[in-house]
Amino acid sequence: MTQEAVPDGGPKRSVVRRRRPLTFDRVSFMVVFLGVPLAVFVIFVVSPFVQALWYSLTDWSGFSSGMNFVGLDNYVKLFHDDIFLKAVRNNVLLAIVVPIVTIVLSLTLATLVTIGGSGTGTVRGLKNAGFYRIVSFFPYVIPAIVIGLIWAQVFTPSSGILDAVLSKIGLSGFENYAWLGDARTAMPASMFVMIWGAVGFYMVLFIAAIRGIDPSVFEAARIDGAGRFRTAISLTVPLIRDNVQTAYVYLGIAALDAFVYMQALNPGGGPQNSTLVMPQQLFTTAFSKGQFGYSTAMGVVLAAVTMLFALVVFTVNALTGGRDQRKVKVRR
Amino acid sequence: MTTPNPLSRRLFLQRAAVGTLLATGGSTLLAACAAGGGDDKTGSNTGADKSADNPFGLADKATVEAIIFNGGYGYDYVQFAADIAQKKWAGSSFKVAPSTQIAQQLQPRFVGGNPPDLIDNSGANQIGFNTILDQLSPLDDIFEANNYEGTKIADTLYPGAKIPGTFDGKFIAMNYVLTLYGLWYSDSLFKENGWEPPKTYDDLLDLGAKAKAKGKYLFAWGKEAATYYHTMAVDGAIKEGGDEVRLALENLKENCWSMPQFQGIFAALEKMVKAGYFVPGGAGTQFTAAQAKWSNDQQAILYPSGSWIENEMKKATKAGFNMKGIPEPTLTANPKLPYESLRSAAGEPFIIPAKGKNVAGGKELLRAMLSKEAATNFAKTRLAPTIVKGLVPADGFGSTALQSQSAMLDAAGTNIFDYQVFGLYGMNTDQLVVWNSFLSGQADAAALTKGLQEITDKVRNDSSVKKIPVTK
Repeated sequence: MTQEAVPDGGPKRSVVRRRRPLTFDRVSFMVVFLGVPLAVFVIFVVSPFVQALWYSLTDWSGFSSGMNFVGLDNYVKLFHDDIFLKAVRNNVLLAIVVPIVTIVLSLTLATLVTIGGSGTGTVRGLKNAGFYRIVSFFPYVIPAIVIGLIWAQVFTPSSGILDAVLSKIGLSGFENYAWLGDARTAMPASMFVMIWGAVGFYMVLFIAAIRGIDPSVFEAARIDGAGRFRTAISLTVPLIRDNVQTAYVYLGIAALDAFVYMQALNPGGGPQNSTLVMPQQLFTTAFSKGQFGYSTAMGVVLAAVTMLFALVVFTVNALTGGRDQRKVKVRR
Repeated sequence: MTTPNPLSRRLFLQRAAVGTLLATGGSTLLAACAAGGGDDKTGSNTGADKSADNPFGLADKATVEAIIFNGGYGYDYVQFAADIAQKKWAGSSFKVAPSTQIAQQLQPRFVGGNPPDLIDNSGANQIGFNTILDQLSPLDDIFEANNYEGTKIADTLYPGAKIPGTFDGKFIAMNYVLTLYGLWYSDSLFKENGWEPPKTYDDLLDLGAKAKAKGKYLFAWGKEAATYYHTMAVDGAIKEGGDEVRLALENLKENCWSMPQFQGIFAALEKMVKAGYFVPGGAGTQFTAAQAKWSNDQQAILYPSGSWIENEMKKATKAGFNMKGIPEPTLTANPKLPYESLRSAAGEPFIIPAKGKNVAGGKELLRAMLSKEAATNFAKTRLAPTIVKGLVPADGFGSTALQSQSAMLDAAGTNIFDYQVFGLYGMNTDQLVVWNSFLSGQADAAALTKGLQEITDKVRNDSSVKKIPVTK
């Protein structure tokens, strides 16, 4: 392999790149390291995609092998289906709010436990930072379905902890308040649960990123008189920009899914469908209405929205100067 | 030290993100990869000859596979029947397996053409009947056969046992458990307070005021079961207006929810909601927790439900509750069908896929379930009658609810009705949303009417949904 490295590239390369004999070694190498992964990818990723696209153009019921080609009928129906459109809007709302709030919170906590500590001596986190780190990471250890069920109990009217505490401190209006049963609060309450479950993990992610920054940068900033807030905004955030972007994409995908949380909190889609998300609607359409063709079309739309979301995040990051910042980092 | 190659790291992150994205998309779509080439071979019945003792031609040493919904009734009652059949057919093996995800678990098997021999297609994840109708075996010959005691099975059943399992003229689902819908209350609590069980919506309003004076609510509801009030309202309207109302619903008629029978009932319910006769917060309460507010805490004094309620709340019922049932209330004192008439139908539909390996074996297991021994076992252990009549003693195995069920059925006589429209087209999920809003006071009767009508209209106008007209 090293022999092939041509230091100055260019025209010489074409001379070197001639056909070499296909020895057993080379063939077996290609089969194992290229063929197998490619086959796995094609069989388990590409072919379901293609199949799904095909099913979305049929009226397949899901329980028989027969189906008719119906063209784009399913998609036309989808864009006139007020309940599905409501689910799309809910998903978009989730994909905007959940990542932003989670990132702001986890970034704040990460900053506090890494560089938010005492103003003298080396740059370090708060006292007992390790303790805070463990405590905030805790929710991430619990499976999402359990988080959903626990919070569903907390939000239960009258016997749930939340209503009990609120009425104890004198807010009698909350004695029987159905947090998940009122269209005004169901969505914010559900978002809160998702954020609660995610903050710890992203905090740890950001801590690792901040640790990767040369501490002398922070010291230099402090010597120049930058406060903690200024350091966080003008130094930390630009330097871990990539991590924030990745976190945003990951969280966005989680929010576009959200199936587990929503199914645990409000299996029926919530009051006036205010917490209904696309995967839930897809699930009902497929299994209880027996319209797999139509629900596959929903799946395709969900995949398209997800990709669109990733594209928007990358574009926004690039447009707001993601590239320039990276150059600064390289120069370091 | 510098980062060796920041670009590759960036690329890595991007690819990682795209990778996840593909994975997420993929998992959503994966469900669709199941439809292989299902071959159309029919069940191979290399069975024995049919005879009076072996009416379906069960082969010697056959294997029978049954998948049973494991819900409120459990699944061991089928195991009980399987044991009886096993004894009769020494050498054969009857396997009974539970499931709570009927549709999800069996969907690939239906597509692949190798479904089990017997399925209890019930529960929240049941397979919609209109999607599998043409893949099911007709069951008429079961009722024509003799049971294990030697009597023709049809003669041992309550009348109308075939009706709930008949779609488009084909009898393809045997509903095993006799269910009736009513209003349930604690007889001891009512006696203690001198309350009369209500017969009309006016009675309900009066009772609500009396309950409130005692610091109690009239009703409770849970978010997954808000449509029990839908059932109560629909049944009341059908009793009030007769077949005209029922057929309008079944055939998804335009403006069917604006019929005066519905409007009268919705208005009365709206009054109850406004007056605070419902335990607040139901839209955020899990349904069994809500039911316990009636059966255990006695915060609410009435609950509309099917007759499975006693078994369902067995462990969360106050001692000395003395549960009793009454027919659902009517709007006026002079309804078209008498007050005593009931919505009653057998539930727990058992189906036999025509492509199963052993259709005769599935039928044989159903025959065992209809034997006196198995049916008595069910009634006794589940406190609910099966479609086999005359097996519940007068003392209802010591249950007041079961006693009142027998009394209600006797009083109703032939005035029994049923409808399938909401389950057939899978409308319950959408209706729950509307009813939760209405019962929590966020929507009025007009909004309820509009919401229900939209759900009905959506099914009617969807050309991809196969409609089954109902004429009688």
